[in-house]
Amino acid sequence: MRKSVLYVLSLLVIASMLLAACGTTPAAPAATEVPAGNEAPAVTEAPAATDAPAAELEGTLNVWSFTNEIRTMAIAFQGKHPKVKVVYTMIPMTNGEYQTKVKAASGTADSPDVVALEAAFVKEWVESDLLANLNDLVPLTEELKTYPAVVQVGTYEGVTKAFSYQATPGAFFYRRSIAKECLGTDDPEQVQAMVADMDKFVETAAKIKECGTGDYYTVGTGAELFTPFLANRAQPWVVDGELVIDPKIVEYVRFAKMMRDNGYESGATQWTEGWFAGMNDTLKDANGTPKKVFSYFLPTWGLPYVLSPNSTPKDGGEGTVGDWGMVNGPMSYQWGGTWVGVLEGSPNSELAKEFVKFVALDEENLTNWATGVYTNEYLKAIDPTTPDDQAQAAGDFVSSQLVVEKITSSFDKSTLSDFLGGENSYGAFALAAPSVNGALLTGSDDAIQRALNDPLAAYLSGTMTEAEMWAAWLDAVRNEFPDLIIPEPPVK
Amino acid sequence: MNFAKLKKASTGYFFLAPFIIGFLVFGLYPVVNTLTLSFTDATLMSGKSHFIGLGNFQRLFADEVFMRAVRNTWLLWILNFLPQIGVALLLSVMFTNVRLKIKAVGVWRALFFLPNLLMPAAVAALFNAFFAYYGPVNQLLVRAGFLSEAMRFLESVGVMRGLVIFIQWWTWFGQTIIIVMAGMTSIPIQLYEAAMVDGANGWQMFRRITLPFLRPILIYVFVTSLVGGMQMFDIPFLLTDGRGSPQSSIQTNNILMYMKFASSKGHIGAASSVGVLIFIMTSLCALGIFYFLRDRDNVEKKPAKKLTSVKNMEKAA
Repeated sequence: MRKSVLYVLSLLVIASMLLAACGTTPAAPAATEVPAGNEAPAVTEAPAATDAPAAELEGTLNVWSFTNEIRTMAIAFQGKHPKVKVVYTMIPMTNGEYQTKVKAASGTADSPDVVALEAAFVKEWVESDLLANLNDLVPLTEELKTYPAVVQVGTYEGVTKAFSYQATPGAFFYRRSIAKECLGTDDPEQVQAMVADMDKFVETAAKIKECGTGDYYTVGTGAELFTPFLANRAQPWVVDGELVIDPKIVEYVRFAKMMRDNGYESGATQWTEGWFAGMNDTLKDANGTPKKVFSYFLPTWGLPYVLSPNSTPKDGGEGTVGDWGMVNGPMSYQWGGTWVGVLEGSPNSELAKEFVKFVALDEENLTNWATGVYTNEYLKAIDPTTPDDQAQAAGDFVSSQLVVEKITSSFDKSTLSDFLGGENSYGAFALAAPSVNGALLTGSDDAIQRALNDPLAAYLSGTMTEAEMWAAWLDAVRNEFPDLIIPEPPVK
Repeated sequence: MNFAKLKKASTGYFFLAPFIIGFLVFGLYPVVNTLTLSFTDATLMSGKSHFIGLGNFQRLFADEVFMRAVRNTWLLWILNFLPQIGVALLLSVMFTNVRLKIKAVGVWRALFFLPNLLMPAAVAALFNAFFAYYGPVNQLLVRAGFLSEAMRFLESVGVMRGLVIFIQWWTWFGQTIIIVMAGMTSIPIQLYEAAMVDGANGWQMFRRITLPFLRPILIYVFVTSLVGGMQMFDIPFLLTDGRGSPQSSIQTNNILMYMKFASSKGHIGAASSVGVLIFIMTSLCALGIFYFLRDRDNVEKKPAKKLTSVKNMEKAA
């Protein structure tokens, strides 16, 4: 009796193992089979597809990204090509989860077809052999007058492997009410004159502090200026296999310390509650005293994705809509941006390429994207399962100068210009975009910059000296880059 | 003849097969592969890799980073294990004590075990938000007058280490109670009754009866906790920035390994060398525990011997 029970149990165990094994094996052939079915039509159609409507595209495409932005385009793409199914996977990149996940998945059966790559690590991928050559899409960038820096970032040794739908010049957003109260004017030109360079910026910061009797901060955190300082370096992080500590980096560290010590910044950590609270005027210190933040350094995407959504307090209240002004700030810079590329060896490479073309190099899509055509209703009509908060509000700054020139005037009177008290942000960005420089990006930026956060925080709060900070940072970099030559620290 | 023997024993092999297969594929192969990788400069971003001998290991000892991670790991583990086993023993003794007769033991046990069911990611994210500069803990402490101004908890080495230790203790002591109690309830109650008749007090019973009988259970708890502790990752990783900040004070072995694996090109060779050293260290310590806590029948005094013989009788029965 007992023995037979055991037999049954053991059989169950073995059966479950076999089933588990079966669960994985069919997946592998499926991955090769399905594409085989797709690739054939796609390949034959591709040449004709340029003229004829490419409605015959079909297949399943795996797209991975670190935000839900591209999902909107994926749904729109399915609207154009009803036989295509896009499987969209979002993995956050707050602490580098996304980067690791894609790296680990590439080359395996779980590998996606299309990956989104952020400015901080796009170079790493463009410089590797893992992305497919997309050189035959380059002529389209000439038609669309894609900003040169955008193509430059996606190119390595003459091979272009990634394209972006965005260009991301940076700006300086300030509270008009505080400017009026403390600086005597909220006029963009006059405010720009008061923050025209770093010396003037610091003078203004002192004025703001005095005027608010310590309750006004110039910025949420000095860390916001890291990107502007980075963009004004003479050399990238890595030159000939050696880490370069540009004078601008040293300058930044001392600047950040000065901001903290003088109480010109709120001390909140970027991307945390406290930092966002300053955007809608609900920042309170631990005693409950209200604090105000005068300005934020944010790029193109910062306006529609960060500042505008956070300008109204979650629990009701006035918020700061209409109280913002936008100028260039003390330094010109660019910040972030999302590139898309096709993974080498993707069984759906032709379809994937069509998707990249649609996302970054399609005039109609870019126009729709920037002008708020992709509303939730629009997306739901294509795919009823679209989440309720999936939509693309107007205002993202696109990579094509052709599109930008055509649509700039449409922002003269828009939600965004209302937000900025009548200013047309699109026009201002359009002036800054052509001067953006993509040459400073390298594949190691992300890890090198992340390594600085922790030692810098310790230096700012006074638990480390400057020399200890540099040593700790260089140790951390050395441990993540076995082959990198590490120079002497600037201060010993 | 041999074949017949094998056939006779086939049921046994049949039962062993799932484990052996699972172990070979998911246990032994990764270990061997890690060892091989640790001698190369392999990265995830390129297909090529070279044999570089002990280069990875040399780099680990070239600066303080690796040894600091090892020290952090031991510190975090010991400081959460000691209170964990202490509280577990104390509560288990109370729950199983014949004199105290605590009611609803099952409910208490379940309550203590509950934190173990929480997702480490959720717990870490919650504590991170609580202790932020503009977070609720600062607000509470300042408004209640305990602090004169907000404190940077997330940048304080002591506070963050304390938090990791607390969270680890809080989520795991319930699990330890369950195991220890299971061990205690299997000790024959007659022994305690006899001891009480002889006039033994609580401590004497604990020292002379409970502890010797619990030894195999304690070794098990000790070793599994050590293995888990040396691989401590999720809480310290998610509590701050995924790099063991502040000042790398909660950067454990596994976080360092993960950082090497996750950095720029994905240096799996260098990451493997960390894994190999953790493996060696953990194995040696586990063997050490077995050695020092082994059943020393011949050396022990009389009472223990008697007890073991009772245990053997129990087993036989």
